[in-house]
Amino acid sequence: MEFKDYYQTLGVARDAPAEAIKKAYRRLARKYHPDVSKEADAEKRMKEVNEAYAVLSDSEKRAAYDQLGKGYRPGQDFRPPPDWDANMEFSERGFSGAEAAGFSDFFSQIFGRGHGMPGGMHGAFSDHHARILLDLEDAFTGAERQVSLQAPKVDAKGRVSLETRTLNVRIPKGIREGQIIRLAGQGAAAHGAKPGDLLLEVAFKPHARLHPHGRDLHLVLPVAPWEAALGAVVPVELPGGTLNVRIPAGAKPGRQLRIRGKGIPSDPPGDVYFEIRIVAPAADSPRAKELYEALRQETDFDPRKDWGREP
Amino acid sequence: MSDEEILADACLTLEQLCAAASLERDWLIRHVEEGLIPVAGGAIAEWRFTTVHLARARRMREIERAYDAAPELAALVADMLEELDELRARLRRARG
Repeated sequence: MEFKDYYQTLGVARDAPAEAIKKAYRRLARKYHPDVSKEADAEKRMKEVNEAYAVLSDSEKRAAYDQLGKGYRPGQDFRPPPDWDANMEFSERGFSGAEAAGFSDFFSQIFGRGHGMPGGMHGAFSDHHARILLDLEDAFTGAERQVSLQAPKVDAKGRVSLETRTLNVRIPKGIREGQIIRLAGQGAAAHGAKPGDLLLEVAFKPHARLHPHGRDLHLVLPVAPWEAALGAVVPVELPGGTLNVRIPAGAKPGRQLRIRGKGIPSDPPGDVYFEIRIVAPAADSPRAKELYEALRQETDFDPRKDWGREP
Repeated sequence: MSDEEILADACLTLEQLCAAASLERDWLIRHVEEGLIPVAGGAIAEWRFTTVHLARARRMREIERAYDAAPELAALVADMLEELDELRARLRRARG
């Protein structure tokens, strides 16, 4: 097991006062906040920062860590002396047992124990929550997926480790983002209690063209200027099959077309929204240039005629 | 193969949300009663939550903890992050 240098993670000196540790943590929590961070590995870094702070912000844990960590370098193989914690009790503050279970093996080897759940939460961790990432196509066809879950497991000594389980899950046709699949009796087993339910939150992997919004699908439909001007029927590949979309003559860019009932299957099924985007051909041949030239000479088209009329 | 069930859109009970997001029951009740996590009225046993509530509750708790933030401030940040999510989703749809 690798030794983790929590001081290095937070970028503080080993004798840093509590106030400096809090300040460093807040700076990094802002930098790696997964909702706003531009860093590629924000989520992973945030977890490391949380773990380091869970130890260094707590005087008992920090003292124990300092004592155990004497002489260790980051990444070096770490072995705690046998029974070093025989008489130590750590009170849980801030981070819940379930969150702490997501911390590294290094953390749980030293501090991870089954106790410390806040009062009034009897059995609360017997449920379990995870996200499942599906392809949009799965919503049209239904699917079967294997889900690997890491769940905290408490051993006889009261230490928490992560156990990986694999489950087969049937994804019904018509599933939507944000829905929850409940697997009865597949949750984490609380100490002595019967296992709770496993709640799987559904999310879709990003699709190149199609953007689900509830039951509906949105997509941008590129059309040629003459298709928009004269009208056309354009075949569009969707997970449910090919849809022939009628572009009305005189369609303006940005206009939205709705095809009812062709979104995610359901009762009622969702709709598909097409936003028309006009793509002009490049004048990349003498003939194409001639055609543009003819258009220029034979129409009095002014794309900027509305300028000056605006308030 | 296990027994699975798709829960309706607003479906999680207080206990299920607490378990799913590792929240303390008292914390969640306090925040709902103060209007910081909007839930349709009624008795506690009738409250039902969605995955949007789940994300919101997690964010607020993280902000409160990381910055010792007042719950109202955490709720304001959560409001803005939700708006950001919505705008990002719209931008993805518009970009095609």
